[in-house]
Amino acid sequence: MWLGIWLAVAGLVLGVLLGLNIPLVLPQVYAKYLSVAALAALDSVFGGIRAAMEDQFDNTVFISGFFSNALLAAGLAFIGERLGIDLYLAAVVAFGVRLFQNLAIIRRHLFKKLK
Amino acid sequence: MKLSTYLSLGLVALVLGVLIVFQFRVTRHIEQGIPAGRAQELALELRQLEKDKSKLEAEANDLSLKLEQVTRGQTEAEKALKDELAKARLLAGLVPVTGPGIEVTLDNPPQQAGGRGPVSLYAIRDEDLLRVINELRGAGAEALSINGQRIVAHTEIRWAAPFINVNLTRVVPPYHILAIGKPDNLKSALEIPGGLVEYLQDLGVQVKIQPYDRLTIPGYSRTTEFHYAKPVVKG
Repeated sequence: MWLGIWLAVAGLVLGVLLGLNIPLVLPQVYAKYLSVAALAALDSVFGGIRAAMEDQFDNTVFISGFFSNALLAAGLAFIGERLGIDLYLAAVVAFGVRLFQNLAIIRRHLFKKLK
Repeated sequence: MKLSTYLSLGLVALVLGVLIVFQFRVTRHIEQGIPAGRAQELALELRQLEKDKSKLEAEANDLSLKLEQVTRGQTEAEKALKDELAKARLLAGLVPVTGPGIEVTLDNPPQQAGGRGPVSLYAIRDEDLLRVINELRGAGAEALSINGQRIVAHTEIRWAAPFINVNLTRVVPPYHILAIGKPDNLKSALEIPGGLVEYLQDLGVQVKIQPYDRLTIPGYSRTTEFHYAKPVVKG
């Protein structure tokens, strides 16, 4: 499990370095979609950690959830833009709430382990 | 845990890192730059203003062209007016003129000293000067003066005993009459047999005629104002 965490951290650092070194700047129009997608991805990661804590981790679920959540959030933002509704707020609220929930559960699991 | 799990974990973390950093950079970019909507608006405005500017430039060109034409017209009109004025002043005798002509000098008969011999009692009168002036004018003199007094349209030559007034100015003998014109014509007009010179010499007046290639006659120096005569308005 610790190996997994270290691997995740290493991947994160690598991704940050990669992102910083790519000379590509996305057009500002896509900034909104990207932000929601990033939020969804973050939620998936927390969900994955929680599942790992509960020993219910399923790689397929994790990977598919990660990408589908990100795509859905971005798509929602896109549709909302076309319809004139701030639909991305729905994604923000949903993933935000889930983030806190997952964090709370992870916290409890950690306390349980430490005792 | 299996290898695929680690791989997927690493991949997900990688993608997440890239996403977050991208978003970070874009957000910073937005803060530095201008929002997209505003940029579009500004671009539209810029295009509109450029259109306006080109229109105004064309208008400015047109106007400056017109101004140039008007200025040119004005200069021409001014020049024509000045020419006309110069001509009028020349005709009125207000400007000094120069050219070929003759000088006629008339002097009273010599008063013989000691009273010996016949003493002429004759003195040159205004009529004599008038006749000389008249004769010279008839012979084509273009400008005339007596002792520096220009003869113009309203010049009087008047006996105001014991002097002669020309242009309200007293003139005294010897009288120098300057005339601009063809010297030969002027001279012969005075000197024809039975003419003015002969007549004056018979009276004892000393007459001397001297042609010049170039002499200068001063302009009429008094100011001329018409108090009673007004131009007739036609129509």
